[in-house]
Amino acid sequence: MSGLMEYNGSAIVAMAGENCVGIASDTRHGIRQLQTVSCNRQKTFQVTDQCYVGLSGLATDVQTVSQLLNFRMKLFTLREERKMQPRMIGNMIASMLYEKRFGPYFTEPVVAGLDGEHKPYLCTFDFIGCLSTAEDFVVSGTTAEQLFGVCESFWRPGMNKDELFETLSQCLLSAADRDCLAGWGGVVHIITPDEIITKKLKGRMD
Amino acid sequence: MNGAHRFGSKCDRPKATDIHFKMQAPVEHRWSPYADNGGTCLGVAGENFVVVAADTRLSQGYSIHTRNCSKVTRLTDKCVIASCGMKSDAITLHKHLKARLVMYEHQHRRQASVTAIAQMLSTTLYYKRFFPYYTFNVLCGVDDEGKGAVYHYDAIGSFERVPYTTSGSGSALVMSVLDAQIDKENQTIDTPALDKAGIVELCKDVLSSVGERDIYTGDSGEIFLIDAAGISKTEFDLKLD
Amino acid sequence: MAAVEEPQDYLDVLQSHRGGFSFENCKRNAYLASQVAIKPPTAMKSGTTICGIQLKDVVILAADTRSTCGPMVADKNCEKLHFIAKNVYCAGAGTAADLQHTTEMMESQMELLRMATGTQPRVCTVVRRLSSMLFKYQGYVGCALVLGGVDVTGPHLFQIYPHGSTDKLPFTSMGSGSLAAMAILEAEYNENLSVEEGKKLVAKAIRAGIFNDLGSGSNVDVCVITKDVGGTILRNFEKPNERKFRAKHAAFPIGTTPIMKQEITKLVSVEEDVVMRD
Repeated sequence: MSGLMEYNGSAIVAMAGENCVGIASDTRHGIRQLQTVSCNRQKTFQVTDQCYVGLSGLATDVQTVSQLLNFRMKLFTLREERKMQPRMIGNMIASMLYEKRFGPYFTEPVVAGLDGEHKPYLCTFDFIGCLSTAEDFVVSGTTAEQLFGVCESFWRPGMNKDELFETLSQCLLSAADRDCLAGWGGVVHIITPDEIITKKLKGRMD
Repeated sequence: MNGAHRFGSKCDRPKATDIHFKMQAPVEHRWSPYADNGGTCLGVAGENFVVVAADTRLSQGYSIHTRNCSKVTRLTDKCVIASCGMKSDAITLHKHLKARLVMYEHQHRRQASVTAIAQMLSTTLYYKRFFPYYTFNVLCGVDDEGKGAVYHYDAIGSFERVPYTTSGSGSALVMSVLDAQIDKENQTIDTPALDKAGIVELCKDVLSSVGERDIYTGDSGEIFLIDAAGISKTEFDLKLD
Repeated sequence: MAAVEEPQDYLDVLQSHRGGFSFENCKRNAYLASQVAIKPPTAMKSGTTICGIQLKDVVILAADTRSTCGPMVADKNCEKLHFIAKNVYCAGAGTAADLQHTTEMMESQMELLRMATGTQPRVCTVVRRLSSMLFKYQGYVGCALVLGGVDVTGPHLFQIYPHGSTDKLPFTSMGSGSLAAMAILEAEYNENLSVEEGKKLVAKAIRAGIFNDLGSGSNVDVCVITKDVGGTILRNFEKPNERKFRAKHAAFPIGTTPIMKQEITKLVSVEEDVVMRD
């Protein structure tokens, strides 16, 4: 466990519900296992009204890529006078990452959003831009294995926004509790057609 | 440069003093006596019973050796051991334990208790501290007070009695689910604890979940339920891919 | 290796964003690797089974749908059959990102070629372009492809290795499950098979990979390319690996999770009346 992907630690999970979608992340910013720098690190970023991008991996690249995304989104809005749909954001991130195929950013993004018809869109990437979409849930970060386990057991089709919040936050908290690199609080965003609900979770701080 | 020398290139021209001068690439010889045969097992203790579940796939690398190989061995009438890691070490270890338990029975005129077996397993593992058995064990049974007992081990004999545990290739996926369903650490609303059937169902579900995501877990699962009535075994199907 | 030009100012940075690979992080990553990491992170691979057969006037490709990241299944139902042109498709094994983007690039090249020449692209064109590109990258772009298509000269099936070598074959398989698939193809392939028999054969070959190779799994995708219709992807042609058991966990009651703070942002849709003035 000494790769750059494990240097700062992160847990990101996104899930689809009925006409809603949620994304959750932990808030730890640590240096390897023994040092925690802050417990208020932003890892999910709002890119459009109804689309969030979660960035796991090396914290410096998380910030760089989030700024790069912000720049590209603004440029697109200026040029085209419209908002990007989540699918398009996914493809843009894939090509942004693949451009750096031989000198990559050490971050694995997750995109969660509602498209024009309020249908959930979820996708995740590896760090060189392999896009994979999912209908149910996507995970990323050092806690990916634990998250896969809980999501496989607890995700159900057709959850409403409240059920989605409970499932998503229980998955995040119980998975992050078994990863010493992630945790220290969590934040959940639930995206519905007419509102965005952001909740800060009370989790173990150790 | 991967240790490979190239002739004629300016940057790394080999010198006559270089011991690998005549070799194309240095060959590294290493003895590796261990293999990982994959698989997942878990144990959950109840008030007066214990549930052990494991898959039956035996694999190495990308190939499946067999789809029907039990990881669980019955040691006494109320104690079983499940071992993941290297299969040949697990076989040897289980054989050794069974022999020791026969000797125990002859000496003491009764079967060993789960707590005694737990201690013996620890010493057996630590006896090979510097050339360990590559096994990750879960020891389960009903103890002398009639309570469910689950013991978790590392490869060299450090052990602990726990309410539930897991080991093997899919252990990371299992543990959080058990935390959320049994320990309920992050839940503020009390929900009723799982009964015997609920725990068996949970074990089945967890193994099925792991079978979806861990490539070394699959084929079929077996569940051992140990209570006052003895050991009963049920089997169920997992995915074959 | 040629020295990597470092951007000197903002214009250089913009210039470097005009396409092609960017190497601006290479020096930094090498430094970070020397300071922090010993091993580089693992990219998503498709430890795959893919295969293809060529019959009288049709080519059939097939693939499994598992993509792995180490011992974990990253995607249970990914697409490994890629569109290149209406009459040319390919199945890919290797590094997933390379496969996605290489085939997308080839798709756009072929569309431009089609528009420039006004003709249907030929299979040999695609193969030549792919193999030159892969050879140029000396195997670092990890694409192992089974490529098939039907053009004016008839049906063709090729396999392309990551270093750029190509073979033209009547039937072939690639990926970690290629031996399992090839065992089936060697035993049962015959050029006089009908399309239906061909579909069954490739599906059986992929199933052999799915069940006997741990790197392959989930479903079977099939692609049939004929002269008249072009290619049709039969997504999830067979689904032999549905989940067998799911417990009915009681859902977490609303209000279970402890929260510290809640913010709700209402979204309102703004409809602007655009008044056209003279």
